[in-house]
Amino acid sequence: MKKKKRKINKQKLMTLLYPVLFGVFILILWQTQLLHKIIGADTFTLPLPQRIINIIFDNVPEILMNVKATVIVSVCGLILGSLFGYGLAIIATAFPKWGTGGLSIASALSAVPIIAIAPILNNLTKDLSDDPNFRSMVAKTLVVTITCTVSMSVNAFRGFTELKPFSRDLMTSFAADKYTIFFKLMVPNSIPYVFTALRVSVPASVISALVSEYFAEYIIGVGRQIRENIVLAQYATAWAYITVACAIGIIMYCILLVTEGILLKGRR
Amino acid sequence: MKKISKKSSKKLVSILLTLTISTVLLGGCGTKTTTDTTTTDATTTEATTDATTADAATDATTTDTATGPYYESDATAESIITNAASLGKVGNWGLGNEYEVQALLSKYGQDTTYLSQAFDMDGFDDDSILLASAMTYNELGLVKNDYDGAYGYGDSVKYIDMNEEGVAMLEDNIFCTKDFAETNPNTVKAFIAASMKGWAYACANPEEAAQIVYKYGSSVSSDHQAYMASEVKKLVETDMTGAPVTTYGVINDDAMQQTLDLAKTYIKLDDSVAADALQALTLDDIRDSSYWEAATADGAVLGAPEKTDVSIQLKWLPQAQFMGYYVALEKGYYDEVGLNVTIVPGGGDIGETTAVYTGQVDFGVTWVSNLIAADAGGMNLLEVSQVYQKSGLVLVYKINK
Repeated sequence: MKKKKRKINKQKLMTLLYPVLFGVFILILWQTQLLHKIIGADTFTLPLPQRIINIIFDNVPEILMNVKATVIVSVCGLILGSLFGYGLAIIATAFPKWGTGGLSIASALSAVPIIAIAPILNNLTKDLSDDPNFRSMVAKTLVVTITCTVSMSVNAFRGFTELKPFSRDLMTSFAADKYTIFFKLMVPNSIPYVFTALRVSVPASVISALVSEYFAEYIIGVGRQIRENIVLAQYATAWAYITVACAIGIIMYCILLVTEGILLKGRR
Repeated sequence: MKKISKKSSKKLVSILLTLTISTVLLGGCGTKTTTDTTTTDATTTEATTDATTADAATDATTTDTATGPYYESDATAESIITNAASLGKVGNWGLGNEYEVQALLSKYGQDTTYLSQAFDMDGFDDDSILLASAMTYNELGLVKNDYDGAYGYGDSVKYIDMNEEGVAMLEDNIFCTKDFAETNPNTVKAFIAASMKGWAYACANPEEAAQIVYKYGSSVSSDHQAYMASEVKKLVETDMTGAPVTTYGVINDDAMQQTLDLAKTYIKLDDSVAADALQALTLDDIRDSSYWEAATADGAVLGAPEKTDVSIQLKWLPQAQFMGYYVALEKGYYDEVGLNVTIVPGGGDIGETTAVYTGQVDFGVTWVSNLIAADAGGMNLLEVSQVYQKSGLVLVYKINK
């Protein structure tokens, strides 16, 4: 029994170790400029990791200010979008005739590129407030909301409808009313599906927040800094912000995985 | 029968949903409807009350004779800038075009933050920007004129000129990498000679030049091209002090020094290595007049070009801003000097400095400030000719009528 447990741990360790080792390998190639030779880049367009890290540490307050703007937008949009999507799924379940058709349209909406929605929402929110920072924040959040709504509504709808065989019959045989069936059976059943949706929408929320910053009226955010620095040919600084953007995405995803692990303990 | 009706109801719902979604999306694209005017009016009246209080000390006439929601036609540049900046309604495109505006804001003791302006003038039109950036040859024409696609404000707008305020920075030039100039000196000279011949012809015949540019693909109407050509002519033939310039493409060191000094103050680089490099830059690092002098000297003998197939990356879409190159191409001036030139239009986020640095193109047109930032970042770019002799950037505002 003990032996088996150790074996599992070792396997877990290896699955973690291999990607880390690969990352370190790439990083070494990069720092020693072998990577530049392989892909034919120069140290100007692909600066060395050392320089990128130096820039990050030199500009901590400014980077944090931009990170704050991006994270607020993506988290607010994620929460709003997910709640809205969950609500849509409930409505779709309540009216299944309309629901399936409506949701397939909703998933078609997710194909509309962020680049198309962002400037439009910018225009729509112009009269919202006198503070450009606030109104562009709203516009960006709305973009993220739209991106996150779709995956949540489609997945949650599946969570409500794809029940275990006969579970609904069992509930009916207990003379459970509609609301009991919904709260005791369908909602718990939808939770794993909610996390499936979140696994898609958490990275998507960060990406759409970054892209929507390109078009925002008020100049702030990690995505905007990437654009400004690339246009000004400051590639090292742009790479510093790209690194920060990656870190935001990875950290948010890790938080999601940990939460999922805690909430769904013993269910998988 | 029941099944069919179920299906059709599904379809109906789908169609309805698509319709609502598309109307909502399209709604954002359109111009403002009458319902919006009340809100915009409200903000502007608020703006003037602020304006009157802020300017009471400096500009007493505003309080007495305020006749509308905008600025008085005789208001001083200082009062307008102070007011617009305190309301946070100064606009610029950013991305390296903002330094002159920041220098002007600093001149009058204002904070250097500005609103991100889109590439149209809708923000100025709907009053979310009171003091908007405009190029004399492009946006200013769109605001004032009334041809298709323009806003038709006529003389109900005025502008603040960067040259008069002493914060002008040089704009469109011709540049290449130092390595390219060293290995292909004759190509550089031939390119400058032919391009300047093109500019001279274009400035002598702006209407024909506008037609030529329009033929080569244009994002704007031919009316606007003609307007642009006439305005660009002024930038090419007048320097920052207002004196006429007859030597096309000459590098004026005083103007270059002013540009470099302003660039050192207002270009903010997070990369400490690049920031130090920026402060260490001298004129000799960014420009070399010898190619232009050799190319335009009387009886200049241009040697055989080392590289005959060359390309030039423009800073923006094909328009009369670059008429000299299109004229030189159309009139065969490049052929005369033995060059086969390809003109590559820019637009959006295309970095002309990066394109030249990586060797995708040989020459580029950029603003001197962008070249300075790129060189500070580690590129080895060199200006070989300065086409625009003064700044074309203005800040435009509406006046009360």
